[in-house]
Amino acid sequence: MAQTEKYVLNMGPQHPSTHGVLQVQVELDGENIVGAKPVMGYLHRGIEKLMESRTYVQCVPFTDRLDYVSAMNNNLGFCMAVEKLAGIEVPERAEYIRVICAELNRIASHHVFIGSLTNDLGSATGMIYAFRDREKILDLFNIICGARMTAHYIRIGGVAADAQDEFLRDTQKFIDYVPEMLDEYNKLFSGNEIFQARMKKTSIITKEMALKFGMSGPNIRASGVDYDIRKIDKYGAYGKFDFDVPLGKRGDNWDRYMIRMKEIAESAKIIQQALDNMPEGPYMAKVPKVLRPPKGDAYHRVENTRGELGFYIVSDGSTKPYRVHIRRPSFVNLQALDTMCKGMLLADAVTAFATIDPLMGEVDC
Amino acid sequence: MWGKGLITGMKVTWGHWFGKKETVYYPEEKLPMTERFRGGHLAFDEEKCIGCKLCAIGCPNAALDLTVSVDENKKRHMESYVHQIGRCMYCDLCIEACPTKAISWDKNYEFASYFKEDMTYDALVEARNRRGNNE
Repeated sequence: MAQTEKYVLNMGPQHPSTHGVLQVQVELDGENIVGAKPVMGYLHRGIEKLMESRTYVQCVPFTDRLDYVSAMNNNLGFCMAVEKLAGIEVPERAEYIRVICAELNRIASHHVFIGSLTNDLGSATGMIYAFRDREKILDLFNIICGARMTAHYIRIGGVAADAQDEFLRDTQKFIDYVPEMLDEYNKLFSGNEIFQARMKKTSIITKEMALKFGMSGPNIRASGVDYDIRKIDKYGAYGKFDFDVPLGKRGDNWDRYMIRMKEIAESAKIIQQALDNMPEGPYMAKVPKVLRPPKGDAYHRVENTRGELGFYIVSDGSTKPYRVHIRRPSFVNLQALDTMCKGMLLADAVTAFATIDPLMGEVDC
Repeated sequence: MWGKGLITGMKVTWGHWFGKKETVYYPEEKLPMTERFRGGHLAFDEEKCIGCKLCAIGCPNAALDLTVSVDENKKRHMESYVHQIGRCMYCDLCIEACPTKAISWDKNYEFASYFKEDMTYDALVEARNRRGNNE
């Protein structure tokens, strides 16, 4: 009789199917997964500590490097936390530009999700389609702030520079293109039988499990929990826009994919409303050159592409933050990996990584 | 019917066979950089600079190493303006800090180098060379 034993397979940190430098120790029984343990820390740069030795204004470019595919949302989270701490009022136009940029970045980030997911499932073509469209958004960012990924556009008190007519016009062009883009994706992969077979009823996370893990963002909404901080907190200008929060039913890979597809359409809806009602006025509040927030602490959370991104800042009244703690959604979401992979086949582990959508810049921080 | 989705997907890819190309032939054809593009070396204007060092103070990573001398009329002169690309985040804070707009990006994106030493340059020397070539 053949003797079988469990063995451990290291996926990553340099593996084509893991996102970034994530190492997963997969315990296998034949081809069935018994356990999957993520090993983190390969991209740790100590951003929280670095911020303690920089002034508040100098901290902002470091937030670009957290979740580097949705830099605008990180900028937004940090700047709003400092504004809360220092009591700065942001002009209305700046709020609208912030919403446009954050939502564009959400779409761009979901493009990376779709692209990497299809690539992990063996369809390199899918990745090219998603990245082609992401490029259109990165070009928009290049117009408005001169950088494609590490934007550093949203600043404490407003935005770095006013949105030009060229940017607004091109954004409108992109928003008009979104339905056609989604239609193409649906034809190309959503309708594909192999894609559906790999995605449906695999790596299920129930509502209770998702809540227990403290998951957030599209991952928890796919399990059917109505939890969107844009709706709950209505921070910035989000209270002024009308949009829906798409919810999933089963919490499987397919739901996590479809949620993101629907979110792209919702983001486009928000951007359209922001473009139509764009107010005139200044784009930057009056912020003192040397910013010294009063002694105290502030926590602000925003709905990042991957979930609830929170910044907790403690000020001792000097020009530099005493302590910054970042609540990173990818880090918390990654906890579910083990449960998602258990009982699945090895090939399904790759799909589970992809749909949980962790970003190592944010996990390791 | 099983396979219908596959055929629809194939139609999409075949539709792009004759479509417009999204990419350009890079070294032969170059995309223009935008007005606000951040990247490349720092283009330094010696006449505008007042030697206040605000750019170096504003830098989060201490990527700028400046030497300033003061002459007998108490006027400040820049002796060297060393920019370490390896430390630079291209965050634009130095340029925004400058009160006289003496520095700007030269919008060059082809400055990858084989050696670490090539990642440090003196913007003042580069500016003088550029002026020498123009005259």
